[in-house]
Amino acid sequence: MTEAATVSDRLSATGTANALELRGVSKLFGALAALEDIDLTVRPGERRAVLGSNGAGKTTLFNCVTGDFLPTRGTIRFFGEDISAFPPHERIRRGLRRTYQISLLFTGLSVLDNVYLACVGVSRSRFSFLRPRRDDALVASAEDLVHVVHLDDARDTRVANLSYGQQRQLEIAMALAGAPRFILFDEPAAGLSPTERRELVEILNGLPDHMGYIIIEHDMDVALRVAESVTMMHNGRIFKQGKPAEIEQDPEVQALYLGGGHG
Amino acid sequence: MRAFADRHPFWSLVILVLAAVLLWMIFAIWPDWLEDLIGRKKVFLNALFNGITLGGLYFLVASGFTLIFGLMRNVNLAHGSLYLLGGYLGYVTADVTGYWLLAFPVSFILVGAFGILLQIFVFRRMEGQDLRQTLVTIGISIVMADLMLWIWGGDFYNISPPEWLSGPMSTFFVTGAKSSGELVYMKYPMVRIVIFAASVVVGVGMWLLLNRTRIGMLIRAGVDDRDMLSATGARIQLVFVAVFAFGAGLAGVAGVVGGTFQSIAPGEDVRFLLASLVVVIVGGMGSIQGAALGALIIGMAEQFGSVYFPTYAVVLTFLIMVAVLAFRPQGLMGRN
Amino acid sequence: MAVTERDPARDARPLSWIERIPGRYWLIGAALLVMPVFASDFVLFQIFGWTFILGIIALSLMFLGGYGGMVSLAQMTVAGLAGYMVAIFGESAISAISLNWPWYIAIPLALAIAVLFGTLTGWLAVRTDGIYTIMITLAIAAAFFYFVRQNYVMFNGFSGFNGVLPPDLFGVDWRGPKAFYYLTLFWAVICYLAVLYISRAPFGLALQGVRDNQRRMSALGYNATAHRVAAYAFAAVLAGIGGILLTWQSAQVSPGTAGIGPAIDVLVIAVIGGMRHPVGAFIGAFVYVILKTFALDALVAVGLAGERFQLLIGLGFLVIVFWSPDGILGLWDRWRESRGKDPLLDRGGEGP
Repeated sequence: MTEAATVSDRLSATGTANALELRGVSKLFGALAALEDIDLTVRPGERRAVLGSNGAGKTTLFNCVTGDFLPTRGTIRFFGEDISAFPPHERIRRGLRRTYQISLLFTGLSVLDNVYLACVGVSRSRFSFLRPRRDDALVASAEDLVHVVHLDDARDTRVANLSYGQQRQLEIAMALAGAPRFILFDEPAAGLSPTERRELVEILNGLPDHMGYIIIEHDMDVALRVAESVTMMHNGRIFKQGKPAEIEQDPEVQALYLGGGHG
Repeated sequence: MRAFADRHPFWSLVILVLAAVLLWMIFAIWPDWLEDLIGRKKVFLNALFNGITLGGLYFLVASGFTLIFGLMRNVNLAHGSLYLLGGYLGYVTADVTGYWLLAFPVSFILVGAFGILLQIFVFRRMEGQDLRQTLVTIGISIVMADLMLWIWGGDFYNISPPEWLSGPMSTFFVTGAKSSGELVYMKYPMVRIVIFAASVVVGVGMWLLLNRTRIGMLIRAGVDDRDMLSATGARIQLVFVAVFAFGAGLAGVAGVVGGTFQSIAPGEDVRFLLASLVVVIVGGMGSIQGAALGALIIGMAEQFGSVYFPTYAVVLTFLIMVAVLAFRPQGLMGRN
Repeated sequence: MAVTERDPARDARPLSWIERIPGRYWLIGAALLVMPVFASDFVLFQIFGWTFILGIIALSLMFLGGYGGMVSLAQMTVAGLAGYMVAIFGESAISAISLNWPWYIAIPLALAIAVLFGTLTGWLAVRTDGIYTIMITLAIAAAFFYFVRQNYVMFNGFSGFNGVLPPDLFGVDWRGPKAFYYLTLFWAVICYLAVLYISRAPFGLALQGVRDNQRRMSALGYNATAHRVAAYAFAAVLAGIGGILLTWQSAQVSPGTAGIGPAIDVLVIAVIGGMRHPVGAFIGAFVYVILKTFALDALVAVGLAGERFQLLIGLGFLVIVFWSPDGILGLWDRWRESRGKDPLLDRGGEGP
């Protein structure tokens, strides 16, 4: 039933509706406002970077969008559909994906098994009691994704034995499972070496054009190379939005954020 | 209370009406049609009183259970065994010394001390492993049940209260009127009333301790957020030991009460463990007020059940539990 | 182990399924098959029959606990309910209640009702998390026990049903020691293989994922609650099969079949054996049955009363929980590991 609904939504939604539309979203933890009155619109296929200092509310924003917790106020629309009250798995099944800042992987399983789990999660065989056959389509797509993130050599390695950088790449492969329509990347470049960073930029730029995303990134260089627009957050509010060049030139932004550590 | 009324005007009204009906049923002389419908008022009043006093007993057992659970996330499935141990120890004390009152402190101290040993030698060694701790308590309850069976055999023991407590007491509740117009007052066993009053005192005392003292604040903070407790630098181990000893001691005291109310025998441990489980599930895990409310509901359900639908009295209790789980899984007074 | 794993050797020349079964399986399998040739009827019926049955019921708990992280004490209740349903729909000595329906209706119906009950139990239990499960399922087990003890219309109250016999299929008396041995062995093997197989199928993998990190699984599109409830449903199938066999073995079912004691015993069996692997359930059941059968004589021999059996079980359980949380399987692993460290042999702890 959900699958059918998704398809019809997709047909009616594509082209007309925004990929993501937040209206007046606030999240309070007790008296502390982690998010305050966020309005955010992202077009289908758009690639957006979210910047801001620690505690600006970037990850909370992601958590509200994916349903990890419910916002205190406001509505969230995904390709035109109001998903504000949906549990996380219903949002994922509609084509939304995310990665986590701290790797949340199944460390006892192999790389391929992790990706396979991700592929199964958005397929109809979630409850299948049958093991996959050799020519199983989901196994094949999992293998493809492993290839996309350059982990072919580590395919059968247990995740516990992967390097940190490889784990981040695996996170991305899992987010790409099952033809997503929109992805939220939570600091995928954090802690990566310069080489790994270049590889990451390459992977992100190699994604199909229709696949939009929001990326949280501290490193301005990476952000500017993978995003076509930028949203600045500060203290739970949206502070500036615009093209990368404008943001970079903006004196307020420079004073607040780019003042130190740029480069 | 006010907040509840604001949020649920409908339910507040229902509760108010029910309370009014209940009060009327307690104090009015019943008209004939009502006696025809549900029997004599004396039976009703007796069931009510038995339910309330049984609730008091359940509260004594369950409050220790819920406190230990709330603070240490330890589902102590040996709690019923502590109850039974308290009952046997109380019986021996009263039997040897002849002083019924002495049974209470002796049971409290001995069972509490046993609780301290458990906490130090067993639970501290597997801190943070909820499931393993619970499994250990199952093992302990199996071993304790068999040891107690070994020592005290399969007989029923009854702790008899002293002379001055054993008779019935006249109350001011009217059960009916004689044809001469003279009112008949209800008589009720003195010891049950005294013990109920004592459990109310214990309950209020615990509430004051938890809400008005520093150690109580520490315990409550620990129930709400266990990480915070260790972050405050409090001597958390000491608090754990104290709470475990207190909870175990209460179970011991409850054993003496149970032995006086009813009797103690093998199998009572499981019965009171289950009662505690249900009370805590219904009332809300880790909440003292919840334990009081749950104990009252379950005590009443059991007594009214056994009077008005004797075949399914026990099942009624569990139906209440299932209903609570279905609609309010965190319990009536529990928090999410 | 992994589903999607492909070792190069297999790619080069695919092993047939026969070659992939380790040698010790063949050994144990052969021993179990020829057992009736040399074992006495008592050993076949009482020791092994009972081991397989309790093993199946403990297996249902192992599936929930080991793969799902949910320790349910209501599995014996599901088993007992299935036994009751077979007695009620099928034939028993209580002709006033039993409906005498043919086995091919009575047994599937009994299983279906057991699964329904198990699913409902699961639905109630998964509404709260983790450690509460054990409390809620224990309370449900107790409720069932008291209910059947007091209900005479359907469950015949205190005495329950006797004369509940397996159907006379293919002209074999299935309660004969040899036939019953093979019957229980057959179902034990089926259940064991089913659990082993499903543990690596998408459903089983996802269940283990939910156990390890529920939040992550939700973010992959899994409905964690639905997976847990489905696990209860599957476990109820196993428990139901075990319960029907148990009823046939003793030819009766009564409230005591599914009391608090037996419910705890199933947990004891699963924990003693080890919850990490399905075989633990059967190891635990074997140890339990041996103890229960021979402990009495042994205790009397050392001068203790035979009733101290419970003490023995309790202490054994405590020792296991204290020193080897993974049960006898855990001890076995540790032993192999320590052997593997032998510098002279110079090889890892991995077996064949």
